[in-house]
Amino acid sequence: MKNMIKYIAVGLLTAPIFMMSSCQKDINEINETNPNAFNDSDPKLMITGAQLANVMLNEGEAARLAGIFAGHFTGYDRQYVSYGLYNMTAGDFNSPWGTLYAEGIAQCRIIRSKAAVSNDKTLEASAAVTEAHLLLTASSLWGNIPNTQACSGNPTPAFDKMSDVYDYCIVLLDSAISKGGASSAYSSAYAGSFTWGEVANTLKARAYLHKKDYVKAIDAAKNGISKGNDFYAKHETESPGAWNLYYDFLDYNRPGYISCENSFIHALLDSTSAKYKGNTKTKEASRYENYFLIDNYTPVDPNMYSGIFAPTSNFALVSYVENQLILAECYWRTSVFDKALESLNNVRSEHESNFGGYEQYVSADFANNDALLKEIITEKYVSMFGSIEVFNDVRRTQNLIGVPINSGNKLPGRFLYPQSEMNSNKNTPAANLLDVLELFN
Amino acid sequence: MKKNALLFFAFWALLLECVHAQSIVISGRVTDGTEPIIGATIYLKSSNTGTSTDANGNFTIAIPANGSTLRISYIGMKTKEVVIDPNAANVALAIALEKDELQLEEVTVTAIGEQRILRKTGYSTSQVKGSSISSSGESGVIQGLSGKASNVLITKNTGDPGSGAFIQIRGQSTITGNLQPLIVIDGVPMSNSSIGGGVDGVAQQSRLNDLNPDDIATVEVLKGAAAAAVWGTRASNGVILVTTKKGKRTGKKSNINVEIGSSLALDYVNKEYKKQGIFGQGSNGSWVANAGGSWGDKIANRSGTDIYNIGNQRFVAEDGSVYYPITSKGDRTVYNDKNRDQVFRTGVTFNNNISLSSANEKSSIYFNLSDWNQNGILNGNSDYKRTTGRLNFSHTLNDKMKFTMNSFLSKVNSNRIQQGSNVDGLYLGYLRSAPDFDNSDYVGTYYNAAGAATFNAHRGYRRYLGNAAIAYNNPGWTLNKQTNTSDVTRIIVTPELNYEWAKKSILTVRAGYDISNDRRVTYFPVTSAGNYVNGGFTDDFIKQSELSFHAYNRNTFDINNTLVLNTTFGYLYTNRSLYNIGGTASQFILNNQDRFTFINSTSANRDPFNSVENLLNDRLYGIADLDYKDKLFVQLTVASEAASTFKGRFTYPSATVAYEFTKDVLKNNKVLSYGKLRASAGIVGVEPPAYIWSTNYVNASSASGWGETLEGSQFGGSIYRSSVQGNPDIKPEQKSEIEIGTDLKFFKNKISLSATYYTNKTTDAIFAVDVPASTGYTSKWDNAATISNKGFEAELNVKVIDNSKLTVGLYGNIGINKNLVEDIKDVSSIFLAGFTGTSSRAVEGQPLGVFWGGKWARNESTGALALDGNGFPTAAVSEGILGDPNAKWRAGFGSTISWKGLDVNILFETSQGNQMWAGTSGVLNHFGISEETVNETTVSAADAALIKNYNGETIDQLATANPDGSYTVRGNISDFGNGRVLLDQAWYTTLGGGFGSVSEHFIKDASWVRLREISLNYKLPNSLLKKLHIPGASIGFTGRNLLLFTNFDGVDPELNLTGASNGRGLDYFTNPGTKSYIFNLRLNF
Repeated sequence: MKNMIKYIAVGLLTAPIFMMSSCQKDINEINETNPNAFNDSDPKLMITGAQLANVMLNEGEAARLAGIFAGHFTGYDRQYVSYGLYNMTAGDFNSPWGTLYAEGIAQCRIIRSKAAVSNDKTLEASAAVTEAHLLLTASSLWGNIPNTQACSGNPTPAFDKMSDVYDYCIVLLDSAISKGGASSAYSSAYAGSFTWGEVANTLKARAYLHKKDYVKAIDAAKNGISKGNDFYAKHETESPGAWNLYYDFLDYNRPGYISCENSFIHALLDSTSAKYKGNTKTKEASRYENYFLIDNYTPVDPNMYSGIFAPTSNFALVSYVENQLILAECYWRTSVFDKALESLNNVRSEHESNFGGYEQYVSADFANNDALLKEIITEKYVSMFGSIEVFNDVRRTQNLIGVPINSGNKLPGRFLYPQSEMNSNKNTPAANLLDVLELFN
Repeated sequence: MKKNALLFFAFWALLLECVHAQSIVISGRVTDGTEPIIGATIYLKSSNTGTSTDANGNFTIAIPANGSTLRISYIGMKTKEVVIDPNAANVALAIALEKDELQLEEVTVTAIGEQRILRKTGYSTSQVKGSSISSSGESGVIQGLSGKASNVLITKNTGDPGSGAFIQIRGQSTITGNLQPLIVIDGVPMSNSSIGGGVDGVAQQSRLNDLNPDDIATVEVLKGAAAAAVWGTRASNGVILVTTKKGKRTGKKSNINVEIGSSLALDYVNKEYKKQGIFGQGSNGSWVANAGGSWGDKIANRSGTDIYNIGNQRFVAEDGSVYYPITSKGDRTVYNDKNRDQVFRTGVTFNNNISLSSANEKSSIYFNLSDWNQNGILNGNSDYKRTTGRLNFSHTLNDKMKFTMNSFLSKVNSNRIQQGSNVDGLYLGYLRSAPDFDNSDYVGTYYNAAGAATFNAHRGYRRYLGNAAIAYNNPGWTLNKQTNTSDVTRIIVTPELNYEWAKKSILTVRAGYDISNDRRVTYFPVTSAGNYVNGGFTDDFIKQSELSFHAYNRNTFDINNTLVLNTTFGYLYTNRSLYNIGGTASQFILNNQDRFTFINSTSANRDPFNSVENLLNDRLYGIADLDYKDKLFVQLTVASEAASTFKGRFTYPSATVAYEFTKDVLKNNKVLSYGKLRASAGIVGVEPPAYIWSTNYVNASSASGWGETLEGSQFGGSIYRSSVQGNPDIKPEQKSEIEIGTDLKFFKNKISLSATYYTNKTTDAIFAVDVPASTGYTSKWDNAATISNKGFEAELNVKVIDNSKLTVGLYGNIGINKNLVEDIKDVSSIFLAGFTGTSSRAVEGQPLGVFWGGKWARNESTGALALDGNGFPTAAVSEGILGDPNAKWRAGFGSTISWKGLDVNILFETSQGNQMWAGTSGVLNHFGISEETVNETTVSAADAALIKNYNGETIDQLATANPDGSYTVRGNISDFGNGRVLLDQAWYTTLGGGFGSVSEHFIKDASWVRLREISLNYKLPNSLLKKLHIPGASIGFTGRNLLLFTNFDGVDPELNLTGASNGRGLDYFTNPGTKSYIFNLRLNF
């Protein structure tokens, strides 16, 4: 027994000698710092990422689905055939929702607080515009969404009312206008000769339009995007990761999945169609060429090679055309019909210089005021090809221009809350694709 | 004490200490005739005091001056008595024991790599002989284990040559952490990583495949926590101990045994999808060029010849065949068989081995060179070439010191075929190909209407003139034009020293270094489908290494003559590192030559990447083994571990008890010849992933599930906060396990049965918990889950006939495991692998890996399908659980027969109750290419006016009336509960097909029974050998996977698209499995 103790003692004594590097602190040190990533970043560097999330939301999957629901595209192949018949499940919306919050809003809020500390007002303005843009787009699709408790450390953020989210965005846009309205700095993901003030004002006009506050919408739009100063998502490099997202989907990643075959927008622009919107003063042939490609992957593809969705075509996020058409509609809604027509003609002269084929309208060209409104909404529907705002207009106007319904007897009224949020946030409300949102009823 | 300590330090100074001798002792050596016997017991018959032999079989013992009788015993050997003449006490005794065939002891290998008598272990272990692995004809060691050990699930990724495999022991016990068991080869941990393995790309190898199965002596599977506790956080998934061959005495004059083995294997696809040959390419009953689906016209009703527009526009294939634009489709040929023959071939493998083995008193040597050269069943760039060399050498310097050096070198080159959810994948393009399209000409020159040529044009059924980008590859293109090479160099060296530095105190110092380099090239030439229309190339270099240092000291204490204590104290240090560097290039600038260089792209289209990972583990452990009267065995172990990935030290205790009750009761029972009860309990762990303590700031990148991406680096660079939240308080996962079991032998050991029940629970399982994205993160690392497994396993061996001429044995094993995710915090499900629509997930209250996806909407109270206005089901808004990929039970059973030099082994294996997602079948329905979609239905005029398809069109709107007034339409008639409906293109291409949002109806039973292995081996008789002047030779045949019985369609349900990932049971255009016929010849000199 004595021997045993002796040997065990020797065994135990020898062990520490072997412990070549067993100092706890040393061993943990190599895990403290991730050699493949950073522990913090500079807000000036973060802003581009947040802007890319904004571009992804407004030009990516959410825009395609909105476009399918609004009749811009048809689901032509594989999963998109079902999407075209409004067969959606909650999981289909995980990706844009993750982009919205984790890559977008969370970053914007970090940037804004860091910029406030360093007193960089222009950076604050840039982040505020991107954040408001993200939230407005999201709320227009999902209605009530987390805002006040979002990205704040609360593990299950509550959902704010749609109208409250809009009000928050308007305040945020106002702060951007006051802090950096004249500037366009910190806009690496964007293109165009805009200023933050003009972008913020058109976004405000868009928000007021959705809220049916037409007077305030006009006030904002008056200071909105001016001629030649459109606000674009930048796609100037012909390379994956940089190029036009529609192009990426239509040609690079998912050729043939979506089409314009049998789409409402194609019918409106196709001179052989019964629904052709052209008339003696309007020739859509040139715009048709810019928008469509015949017999490529499908009989009618969105033009991904030489037109609107070409690899290096910048994508209009907020434009002079939209701003003028907001004005046109709001003037119409406030019964200022001559101004409404003037704004519409501003758009037509823009198209005349870009495409050709658009003479100025006079009031006699319209049988009645309703015809003018329909022309304004139709023009916006066609002008903003690929934009989520078109789906908003369709719902907001109770489908005034008659977008055909692909399945059942109603157009989708909203996006579904994503499965990922339902899985872990008990506050997620129930939703049905056909529900009508608070501001759009 | 002082002397011992001095001795110890003397050792470290590399001074050799002479062993001092005692004067009143005798010494001797115990052998089995040739090899020393370690641990033989030597008793003085008069006093019942005794000793045991050391590692070299030597012993010394004090005897009374008047002489004595020694009683020498060893398990498996006949006990011998030797009378000692005191006058000859200085003469060293040489004692040779004879084998006692009746109780030849089986040995097992312990977690630290030492041999131990199986009888004395208190946990369950499964042992597989090396010969059984090499005769399986599998290139990988692990695949050769299939069906041979209970509750050890081996899932091959695909049938591709060299493809890796997923190993699961006693169910899955972690969520997203490493699931693979620790592989320990000759006492040193070895990397068995399978880097890669998603829903697309190529099937990756497992680094375990680098080994040569011919080098393996035994494989021991330690399943439970108690057996493996000394490995701490690396042992949670079990430990597989691989022991390589050692040099042996030959008994021949030359004392050298040379074995030359050669084998030829022929591989064939073991299960295929059936494709319809009735309807052509197109849509709504009409032929449409380049259409995806085969919903076109009836081929048999065509005119007979195609009508072309012969002009400038044409495709000229490499062999000169010319294809003009088709204006009217008339060809009635069905090309399904021809297209099939383009894809498959007979896989051929040549495997050559030469080994040399020898040993003498002091040294042993085993040397092997092998070459494996395999061409896969896919008729293109699918091959696997492995050359290995091994030298295992040991030398006994003096009685106290033994040096061992095992070294291994492996060079593996392979080329794989793209698969899965991948427009450049093989099955995707092949299976979807329309039956009326001939795939043979896939590359050539396209001339447009003006006669301008485009070279390297890609022709396939989605682009029959090769005039523009193709939706997905012609299979010929996938097989022959794309390159996916892997070039691996692997070196493993294991130096070891055994030093008996004091009496019954042996120190082992072992180092291990395992390093591998893998260069992977993925190359898509210009005009490949999808992302690679302008070409794409990735060069990826992966360097992995593991350095280990292991030292332990074993002591034996004969406390009294009934109680023996063995202790082991050890220290183990491991340092693992992973280095990955590479880059991608896309949008090639020069199109006509295949070069794997970045200069073929502009700088905007070059994307470099790199990453490093370093993991340190530091472990101290102690083992105490108590042996009471050779019938009660208790083992206690405790390991204390620190690691770079968690803070603080964690302790892993275990205890095992074995009681050989037949030594006390039922002695000499005629039925029960041996009985042991055993119980064990232990705790093991899983270490956290590296670098998850803090929230990272990463390269800004935004992407959707469809692939379109925005990269911050393309916009001046952006580093922003990761959407995954770090956790500085992360702890290792802890798995505690209790098992009880029994080992029984009946009828003079003719029947042996081993049965074990176990229950284990993993707490603090680590995963990136999904958090609501509205928090600003999408997930957070946390110790968040509790998972349990309960199960039963048994292994049975029956010697039906056992005499010198004929032996017939039956064997079998069965494993039942019930897995349950007990808690995953408040998350309703966690994605493990798969697609947005259908995935394998962790769901609380369900087994791990359950299928999750779109379901049919149902009436909540009745459960009836909620139907639309036309009587078709509708999709539920929320996703849910669809099925379970885990088997209810698995078993292997077979027979061995030996008769006059002929050895036969037959092994059946089965898996029952497992489900699989038939993703491929669902999509083949969408494309109208599956046989299910080809049925034609004739209904009366009345029915034709009534029965609607999914679009609400009635049959009489879809078809024209037959002369008798009835209507015939392509489609199936079904009834979902509101009257008959027509399932046709409208249904299958939307909600009813594989791209619909509901996948509930594609979860299928995937139970199987297979003839896993049949082998015949014949030792040529001596009479013949003498004539041939060869000392020894055998010929053999092995058939692998020759029979497969399953209700699952189209593919071997044992495969899994996502390989060795944590998700299971997914089939989506996975490359097929194989069956093999292997012929081998072995010559001994």
